[in-house]
Amino acid sequence: MTVLNSLTGVIKNEYVQQARARGQKIVGYACLATPREVLDAAGLFPYRLKALGKGETEMADAYLSRFNCGFCRSCLQLGLDGTYDFLDGIIETNGCDHLRGMFENWQYAAPRSFFHYVRVPHLADADSMRWFVEEIELLIEALNEHFGADVNDYKLNKAIEIQDQIAAKMRRIYESRWGGEIKVSGHEIMSLMVAEGSLPAPDFVKLLDGFIGTLEDRKPINCRARLFMGGAATDEIGLIAELEQLGGLMVADSFCFGGRLFLREAVAKAPVHRLAEIYLNNLMCPRMFMNYPQRKAFILEMIEKAAVDGAVLFHNKFCDLHGIENVKLKMNLEEAGLPVLLLEKEYGAGADIGRLKTRVQAFLERLKR
Amino acid sequence: MNSISKQASQTGLFSRVYSLFSVLKKLPPQLSEEELEGLIKVLPADSANSMKSLLKPSIQQASMTFIQMLSTALEETKAAKQSGKKVVLAPFNFPPEIIHAFDNLVPITTEVLTTLGVVALEGQGERYWSYAMGLGLPDHLCSANTIDLGSMLSGMDFEPDAIISGCVGSCDVNSKTHEFVSLLVGLPQIALEKPPDNTARGLKIFKNNYYKMIRQLEELAGEELKDENLRMVAEKVNRCTELYRDLWELKKQIPCPVPGIFSLFICATRFAMWGRDEGIKTLESCLAVSRRNFESEAYRSREEAARVFWIYLSYYYDLVRFYDWMEENHISNMGDALQLAFPEPLDLSSRETILDGMIESAWNNVMTRQMGAASMSQRWIEDIVYVIKEWHINGTIYCGHHSCKQTWSVFSMARNEVLKRTGVPTLGLQGDSWIRSMTPMSVIQEEIEQFVHNVINKRGRRRRTRA
Amino acid sequence: MLYGGIDVGSLTAQAVVLKDNAIYSFQSIRVKPNPVDSAATVLEGALKEKGLTLKDLCFCVSTGYGREQIQKEGLSRENMSEISCHGKGAWWVLPQVRTIIDIGGQDAKVIRVDKDGELVNFVMNDKCAAGTGRFLDVMSKTLGISVEELGPLSFKAQQVIEMSNRCSIFCETEVHHYLQRGASPADLAAGINRTMAGRVMALVRRVGPEKEITMTGGVAKNQSVRKELEKAMGTRMLTYHVDSQIIGALGAALIARQLRGVKQ
Repeated sequence: MTVLNSLTGVIKNEYVQQARARGQKIVGYACLATPREVLDAAGLFPYRLKALGKGETEMADAYLSRFNCGFCRSCLQLGLDGTYDFLDGIIETNGCDHLRGMFENWQYAAPRSFFHYVRVPHLADADSMRWFVEEIELLIEALNEHFGADVNDYKLNKAIEIQDQIAAKMRRIYESRWGGEIKVSGHEIMSLMVAEGSLPAPDFVKLLDGFIGTLEDRKPINCRARLFMGGAATDEIGLIAELEQLGGLMVADSFCFGGRLFLREAVAKAPVHRLAEIYLNNLMCPRMFMNYPQRKAFILEMIEKAAVDGAVLFHNKFCDLHGIENVKLKMNLEEAGLPVLLLEKEYGAGADIGRLKTRVQAFLERLKR
Repeated sequence: MNSISKQASQTGLFSRVYSLFSVLKKLPPQLSEEELEGLIKVLPADSANSMKSLLKPSIQQASMTFIQMLSTALEETKAAKQSGKKVVLAPFNFPPEIIHAFDNLVPITTEVLTTLGVVALEGQGERYWSYAMGLGLPDHLCSANTIDLGSMLSGMDFEPDAIISGCVGSCDVNSKTHEFVSLLVGLPQIALEKPPDNTARGLKIFKNNYYKMIRQLEELAGEELKDENLRMVAEKVNRCTELYRDLWELKKQIPCPVPGIFSLFICATRFAMWGRDEGIKTLESCLAVSRRNFESEAYRSREEAARVFWIYLSYYYDLVRFYDWMEENHISNMGDALQLAFPEPLDLSSRETILDGMIESAWNNVMTRQMGAASMSQRWIEDIVYVIKEWHINGTIYCGHHSCKQTWSVFSMARNEVLKRTGVPTLGLQGDSWIRSMTPMSVIQEEIEQFVHNVINKRGRRRRTRA
Repeated sequence: MLYGGIDVGSLTAQAVVLKDNAIYSFQSIRVKPNPVDSAATVLEGALKEKGLTLKDLCFCVSTGYGREQIQKEGLSRENMSEISCHGKGAWWVLPQVRTIIDIGGQDAKVIRVDKDGELVNFVMNDKCAAGTGRFLDVMSKTLGISVEELGPLSFKAQQVIEMSNRCSIFCETEVHHYLQRGASPADLAAGINRTMAGRVMALVRRVGPEKEITMTGGVAKNQSVRKELEKAMGTRMLTYHVDSQIIGALGAALIARQLRGVKQ
């Protein structure tokens, strides 16, 4: 667990330092829609941007405004204060308007020599899929050109294979909470999900294997209520841990540092097409349009399998995508008989934890748990 | 829905706006001062304030045509159901001319309805906003959309037959709000995605999406898009474009002969009645009034303390204390970024060339062009710089409409770049363009006063002109 | 049988001792820097009044700030959220009540309970202090009057000057702005109270209020806010003869009585 703790406590972790020492290039990305296999195949170390709950945004606030999402402001802060200086390049995605703002300001204030924009469609129809295939091809071209990489189908297939393995292992740990005793808490699961984008894929396989090895001997965790949590982009492991202390354990979630991370259904065989399908068809994010029923079904299925007692849906202040979709989800989950708590929060606002805990505690009391 | 919230919304926004306009359109084409006085006395305070401003003698000719245009739009919407036509609700950044080319479709623009409600109704749009908030929606949504859609959500207003989400890819908050309404009310949603790619490739993808949307509209209308209709609309679109450009040219004059409120008329025409005779008439009367001003010795000799451009939106909830106040203080209100669409005449050679032109017009429409570009800041800044030079602007203002996360994301950058490239300062305000209780008008006025006197004038860039 | 309830708020702390089905003793104090000290002092005060000590209580529940800490220190056996406690307390004084609007110093909550006083639904304000007692505190200071005067003063208003919908800090600037322009303190007081009510109404709408409705917490004493809320909801709220500030502690004591059967 020490390795996991270090991965989720420090941005410039030991793997980053090792990569720097051996001369491996590190490229940052933020959104789940980024096909990281392409970076793996290019011999790069894909590092997922995160802020680890750090709420200071002094430098970032000179660029983004207080009407922008705190998570993006915190990531920008770390980009400007030197924490992310180890990145050799950045890949932008149009995950949401706040994220676009973060990337634009980062590149404006502290430009990187490699900056590539992967434009992710907001629909998942056949035309959008063709467009996304082109985007992946353009990414390959850009990486080959800038880093002198030689991405080919063989390398891509290998990278896909290893990510498939990772997804299967993550799913195994994730779903271990669904039948009977809970041996892994929700915040530990989030730690794993946050760790995922913090180290090279082969190292993460080893870490997962180690974790799986400990599963059997773990003691069951006391559980007052089985909760589903979902909503805004957050890597605030500490927040989930604090809330779980009240006794409601997160047994399923739809966070992008969570339950959305290992969905990989695809039928295409050619690697670029396969990647396009993996990343676009399985993107269970409200930034996608015309497929709310799919997202709802994904959540309802988890809720049923995990035998959930209640759902807590978060959104970071000013996050429109989750703020709006949570209201619709709340209606649908309540129709399905599940009590729901909506929580608007500031990212990384430790001082506000007491008020969040009051609401979650009252929710547990409402559940008669 | 709880009864208290329902009670609060009472009657829908559309119904109330429609009722008011069906009275206003019966007004004689020219109102005497006594008649205007009389009208104002019978109207509730909020409506009276707006009418006082709209129907003042100096702009009455244009305002009357404008009111007639909007009445027609509202009537067509209202009559659509009875005549078997389908009403398509679209956001402001979706050019409506393509819908006008269908026999069986009628467009209605969300933001135009909201603005009419805010301008013309007692209590403005707040009851509908509150209704939407009561559903649990967050308070950082766009009021321009949420006020009208809130009314629709209350189930007490007219329901369109489909909703076009014309800002997928360029505005999360509005496209998500459209989706929410579509899901809740059970309306078919047509999503037109704009790829954030300024190259020919991006345009090609957009073109494909647009053609797909036409097919969806044809299905909804139960008719094919007819060449003759398309041509007829296109010809009128070109006339609108011509008039729009004439007005643009006039704005270069010092002092500016185009009254500030005309920017509102022009935008409403672009958003709702572009390619229609009523739209042409509105623009023609705006042009006639502006030309008259230009030719008037008295008008030309008036003082112009500042020429101010709103780099994003303006405030639309208080015409008397805002548009009139600026005029009284000799601040030329040069309009807002809703005018930065740069329409080009359509090539009428064939169906394909007409459609290509309409697609490019949609691609380049306001906000889509700027916020929906590869970079949210780059095109926006370039357009601001261009308009500053074209219209001899000496001060710009950012209204700080809370919900616009895109402009808020890059405002700081835009302010720096505009200053660097043109030397023109920008005042940053915070407020909501459609909800008065977010920032009181008196606070806004005070900040503008300070900006004009202490920043614009001090910088020696004042373009005061006396004949 | 004696049951205790402790409620530590941001400005005041209360304790209620319940004997059988009646309030036996209660006390309210200004808070101390540490919630445990506040709890100890206020509970001791309430007990002392009747010559009792902590040992005489068969079960005690803490709520509000530091409720867990208070339990850890042994002053209570269990802790509950103030949301459940306010719901329960209000239901006890008014059994027909189904919706409770509770406005304290830092928090505003709208709570729905069932016929047994059990929590059905609730909403609570987010981080912003704009719809809480703190807002009234700041505003009254800006006007140079006490918070208690804010209600009565607003009834002298000729017109209501509404504040904008922004945070308390901005509203403070706005009050100065209006004062400089010669606005009367009474008109501003009325505006402040209406603005406050407007913000609370946003929460009320979210929870979907059901009749009967009542108010608890310190702000319930402000008649102007109460009237504005009644006007916005189109319904009268029920009143009661117990101090509105002790409802949370009373609820905690009632829950203590309930829990005793389960936990002892």
